[in-house]
Amino acid sequence: MSDSKYFATTKKGEIHEFKEDLRSLDRSKKKEAVKKVIAAMTVGKDVSMLFPDVVNCMQTDDLELKKLVYLYLINYAKTQPDLAIMGVNTFVKDSQDPNPLIRALAVRTMGCIRVDKITEYLCDPLQRCLKDDDPYVRKTAAVCVAKLYDINSELVEDRGFLDILKDLLADSNPMVVANAVAALSEIHEVSGKDVFQITSNSLFKLLRALNECTEWGQVFILDSLAAYQAKDSKDAESIVERVSPRLQHANCAVVLSAVKVIMKQLDLIQDDALVKQLQKKMAPPLVTLLSAEPEIQFVALRNINLIVQKAPQILSHEVKVFFCKYNDPIYVKMEKLEIMIRLASDKNIDQVLLEFKEYATEVDVDFVRRAVRAIGRCAVSIEKAAERCINVLLELIQTKVNYVVQEAIIVIKDIFRRYPNRYESIIATLCENLDTLDEPEAKASMIWIIGEYAERIDNADELLEQFLETFPEETALVQLQLVTAAVKLFLKKPTEKPQQMIQLVLTYATQETDNPDLRDRAYIYWRLLSTDPDAAKEVVLAEKPVIMDNTTSLEPSLLTLLLGQLGNLASVYHKPPEAFVTRSRLAVQRAEDLAPASFEEDSAAGAGASEAMPGPVAGPEVQSHQPDLLGDLLDVGEPTPPPAPAPSPPQPTARAPPPSSNGNLQELLGGLDINQSAPAPAPIPQQAASDPFGAPAPRQEQAGGASMRQLLAADRGKGLSIYGAVARVGGQPVYQLRFQNDTAQPLDGFMIQFNKNTFGLAPANQSVSMSPVAPRSSGAASVPLVQNPAMVSPAQASPSLQVAIRNNQLGVAYFNDTLPLPAVLLEDGKIEGSVFVGSWKSIPEANEVTQQLPINMGNLEGVKAKLAAANMFVMAYKQVAQTNEEVLYVTGKAATLDSPTQLLLEVRFAKGVPGIKAFTKSTRPDLAPFLFEALPALLS
Amino acid sequence: MLSQFFILSPRGDTIILRDYLGNVPKGSSEVLFRKVKFWDGGGQDAPPVFHVDGVNYLYVKDGGVLLCATTRENVSPFVVLELLRRIGGIIKDYCGLLSEDAVRKNFVLVYELLDEVIDYGYPQNSSSEALKELVHNEPTIVKPPKHKASVFSVGKGPTGVIKSVLDTARTDGGRRDEIFVDIVERISCTFNSAGYIHASQIDGAIQVKSYLAGNPAICLALNDTLAIGRRGGAHGHDYSHGGGTSQDAVMLDDCNFHESVSLDRFDTERTLELVPPDGEFAVMNYRSTYDFKPPFRVNVVVEPDRNSSLKALVTIRLKADFLAEKAASGLELSIAFPKEAARMTCEYERETKPSGSQSWDWQERLHRLTWKLKRVQGGSDHALKARVTLDEEYSANFRRGVGPVNCTFAIPMYCASRLQVRYLQILKNDKNYSPYRWVRYVTMSSSYTFRT
Repeated sequence: MSDSKYFATTKKGEIHEFKEDLRSLDRSKKKEAVKKVIAAMTVGKDVSMLFPDVVNCMQTDDLELKKLVYLYLINYAKTQPDLAIMGVNTFVKDSQDPNPLIRALAVRTMGCIRVDKITEYLCDPLQRCLKDDDPYVRKTAAVCVAKLYDINSELVEDRGFLDILKDLLADSNPMVVANAVAALSEIHEVSGKDVFQITSNSLFKLLRALNECTEWGQVFILDSLAAYQAKDSKDAESIVERVSPRLQHANCAVVLSAVKVIMKQLDLIQDDALVKQLQKKMAPPLVTLLSAEPEIQFVALRNINLIVQKAPQILSHEVKVFFCKYNDPIYVKMEKLEIMIRLASDKNIDQVLLEFKEYATEVDVDFVRRAVRAIGRCAVSIEKAAERCINVLLELIQTKVNYVVQEAIIVIKDIFRRYPNRYESIIATLCENLDTLDEPEAKASMIWIIGEYAERIDNADELLEQFLETFPEETALVQLQLVTAAVKLFLKKPTEKPQQMIQLVLTYATQETDNPDLRDRAYIYWRLLSTDPDAAKEVVLAEKPVIMDNTTSLEPSLLTLLLGQLGNLASVYHKPPEAFVTRSRLAVQRAEDLAPASFEEDSAAGAGASEAMPGPVAGPEVQSHQPDLLGDLLDVGEPTPPPAPAPSPPQPTARAPPPSSNGNLQELLGGLDINQSAPAPAPIPQQAASDPFGAPAPRQEQAGGASMRQLLAADRGKGLSIYGAVARVGGQPVYQLRFQNDTAQPLDGFMIQFNKNTFGLAPANQSVSMSPVAPRSSGAASVPLVQNPAMVSPAQASPSLQVAIRNNQLGVAYFNDTLPLPAVLLEDGKIEGSVFVGSWKSIPEANEVTQQLPINMGNLEGVKAKLAAANMFVMAYKQVAQTNEEVLYVTGKAATLDSPTQLLLEVRFAKGVPGIKAFTKSTRPDLAPFLFEALPALLS
Repeated sequence: MLSQFFILSPRGDTIILRDYLGNVPKGSSEVLFRKVKFWDGGGQDAPPVFHVDGVNYLYVKDGGVLLCATTRENVSPFVVLELLRRIGGIIKDYCGLLSEDAVRKNFVLVYELLDEVIDYGYPQNSSSEALKELVHNEPTIVKPPKHKASVFSVGKGPTGVIKSVLDTARTDGGRRDEIFVDIVERISCTFNSAGYIHASQIDGAIQVKSYLAGNPAICLALNDTLAIGRRGGAHGHDYSHGGGTSQDAVMLDDCNFHESVSLDRFDTERTLELVPPDGEFAVMNYRSTYDFKPPFRVNVVVEPDRNSSLKALVTIRLKADFLAEKAASGLELSIAFPKEAARMTCEYERETKPSGSQSWDWQERLHRLTWKLKRVQGGSDHALKARVTLDEEYSANFRRGVGPVNCTFAIPMYCASRLQVRYLQILKNDKNYSPYRWVRYVTMSSSYTFRT
């Protein structure tokens, strides 16, 4: 007889029929009915109304029926807590049944029923079962302690279950030990308390248990061992010695956890020979992981990627095993490619290049592109191999396959940057392929090459002219390159044709375009060229810094962190756990509480989701920049925002965000003042000019009252551009934002989240109150900010502020802003002169930070007013007769979280001498950069 | 650990669902299914681990169904994936095979098993043997679909037996004591255009499936000449030269063993002792990158047609380079052609030995020629001559563009690494006890490619 008939389509009155059968006295009929109910439950039908009838079947000595009833109970007890109580008696009775299976079943099930009233009755049976004679019961009870802790942690602590659990670590049965370790680790994790501290005493016990434990238990023990800090080299050696036989285990989870423990202890071991030997020992098991199913291979490869970043020598001779098989899934191929690049050296580069070349002829376009890039990256990182790489690229260009050619040109541009004046002979070949270029990045690369080597290309002007024909239709990336290339051409060959060309380009770029980046770059060139062509030459044709291939390398600190996470999800995503784990187990008890909205809009979230999993698809570059952001963003959907002042009233499409009701007009005017007094040519951003591929410096935009910068360009924001600035309004930091919607659809549902930052600023409310932004129009909002201790970045103080904004249509967008110091300066920052002098003396010399700033001091009164508007107060002003210097003493109080920090500042300047000298002292010298950042706007 | 475990049918229906922590929103199974089906706009395989809205999704595909897990925590993906695989294996052991039908027909049993395998999201007991005393439901054995019924069909293990582990407990006389020991090797081999091996690897496993009542210990003796470990070390990994060991030595790079295996006699006698638990498991997994004799060689010749510049002749020659008493089954060659190849007609060259039927197929959209041979006897030669009509004139680019040739095959009773089970001994003090003992070999292609 088969069970599949239970899944047959439902008829009317099915529930009624179930009821009848459940009440039947015929045992087999009853059982059949419960099976049908479970089947209905599995496919998602609501059969909760049968609760009383099913519970009535509970008291039976038919174990099979009992299990079915329990399965039902676990599922529905939450919705019917009062009825669930009916089962308690049976549970308690069962927990004393002579049959250990039934005893265990009772505790196991009770622990799964997350109803407080039942939990109360759980304690006594649990206490008994933890000391049961039967190991099966004990191991079940051990897990049950973790369950209980999740529901009611106090109860666990009061009843001393934690101590019993610790005793179980020394149990004679390996299953029990394994579960005790698992339960303790779980509680450790959930509570954040140190309930599972490994001491040298328990370490010994665990190492012994390791040999006898089940495979899963071994994983639990190894993972907890990885957290153990060995005392010294000897200690580390003995751990490694006990752990290394695990490398031979057939369960790959055990192998990788063992690798994690060994990697951690390796740092401590002083015996170099032993370290070498261990590294050698780790290689074969790691490679063997790649013989498993593709799913396992993927996880293994992501982990190996981390390991070879730290210690490439472990696998440096194994590059062959990472060669792609034609039938590997694409996600495996992409990961193998990454590792091949990392393991490539001048010894094996020929083999590796041969592979890449082969991959470049495969069918999958994404993979082919990645392979071509890989060749370029090898050229950039291995100097000796550069020429061979170029030859392969040239061969590939000969295939004339459109996307291969374009990708090759992009990487050749990088190779030129890396090895200037070495391989320019191939430019002619590249120029033969201009017609095939139709992708912005390839076009931009080719244009850069033409501009950079204009003097060596006879017909550079003609080539550029070809591109210029379509100038208005090009993307911003290409337009920017065209402007720069035209300027370079003109500077190198100041003949008639380039001169015409440049006039045309600059006129268009300054007058016809809406793109501020393009416009401003063109203006800079224009002014440079018209005022001082020699200076222009120095700036535009300056020598460029040599580039490196670090597109996918992780920062050392993140890498160390991730190596500690080896074998965990963090090591697969290459993100710290905080970035994707919301430690909300205790807070979110019910699935129903979780915002269902985020699921309804799943189609829209699709794009965001693939960003969330950088894995093989999304560009790995993204992740290294914003490690924390995603996880914090995940909070967006959470129902409980931190306590905060009431959000400001919705401000519809007004262009200028009005100051909130009790707003301080003074400040707003102060902000305006800065802008009006600074229309003079901005200092030339050296970097933007000399590094055409670097991000152009953000420009200021006059948008209503506040000075807002473009934070997100439309091409990066899928048509949404964002302008904004953090300001202080009415004694509160506020994020003033303007959204320009260049898409064809209205945008709504804006949500905002910050990454951790120095001042712990966070939006009071994650949803931005603003009416939908219609297509081709803009909307403004001001987001009140609050300071939240949880949001304080532990990293070194930095004015950088990482922001994520999502909306229902376009998904998530990220950008960087800077945190202006005035936004966090308190209104009551004024202090007595004597206090100033006293504090200056009392703060140690070491805290003094000095910097020379290229500021031309403005009118003293104006400066004072500006400073006051920014909550910075001038204490004193004096002139030093001897040196003709003028000195200004200023103070301000920064709202750092634990307690405000008084910042003391001394500014020295002299008439006729450019620049000022700023000295600052405070208890937080790390805040000095903030201050220096803010000074130019305040003093000039 | 795990928040949920579920099994999805090929159409995305939830056929089994257990929720352990209740912290994942409803509809997670739909999210997973949609992601897997339409990853990156479809056409691409979704990675086995991904993250959507705070929930981590992990899945494996097996027997046509998706075994899935969700979690909100930073768990070990290996634990989860291995556990999912293991659950698939347990269902196989108990229901005879893993398929949508088998799970549906045995869902109560599957729930009962799950209850023991996972508690509160933590893996517990994952050995089919130990589970036997904890479950009470009887399996409904499902017959596999006809076309998949061939002995030694695809997959890693001996799928030829459709039998539940609970069978050994039968007392009705229908029981049959038997044990299957299968040496399954998957070979990866890449040949360069000159026909030399460019990279090769053997991934092997000794799979055991035991139906011996009373679980007696067994003894597996392997080749005396078995050597494990990588030659060379830090210097010069030259794959093309032997390491100075004897010709007959079976060389492995690395191996690992099932936890039931005692290695006391392994170092000295190359003998494995174990008490095989019920169910299917790998006694030993191994890997070798040492040279071996490839079973097939392929050679592709591309020539212009003297009569027309818009035609080309492509000859594919296949040589089966193994003993004549053995035969490969289901050989399939797939040859990529450049875009200018428009149409083609093929003919078989006279075969040196008559063997099974063959067929060819030109997939115009994919620019791919497939050549299938049902059965290829060792030592035989075959050739396929394709007359290709081109869209453009014949050029060197066309010649270079033909290939690579990818092959799939299975060769029963053939072992590429020459690893052998010298004897299989059942350690039971009963002279009359002689259960059926099956020792089988099969070598399959994992990735077998000829570059041109």
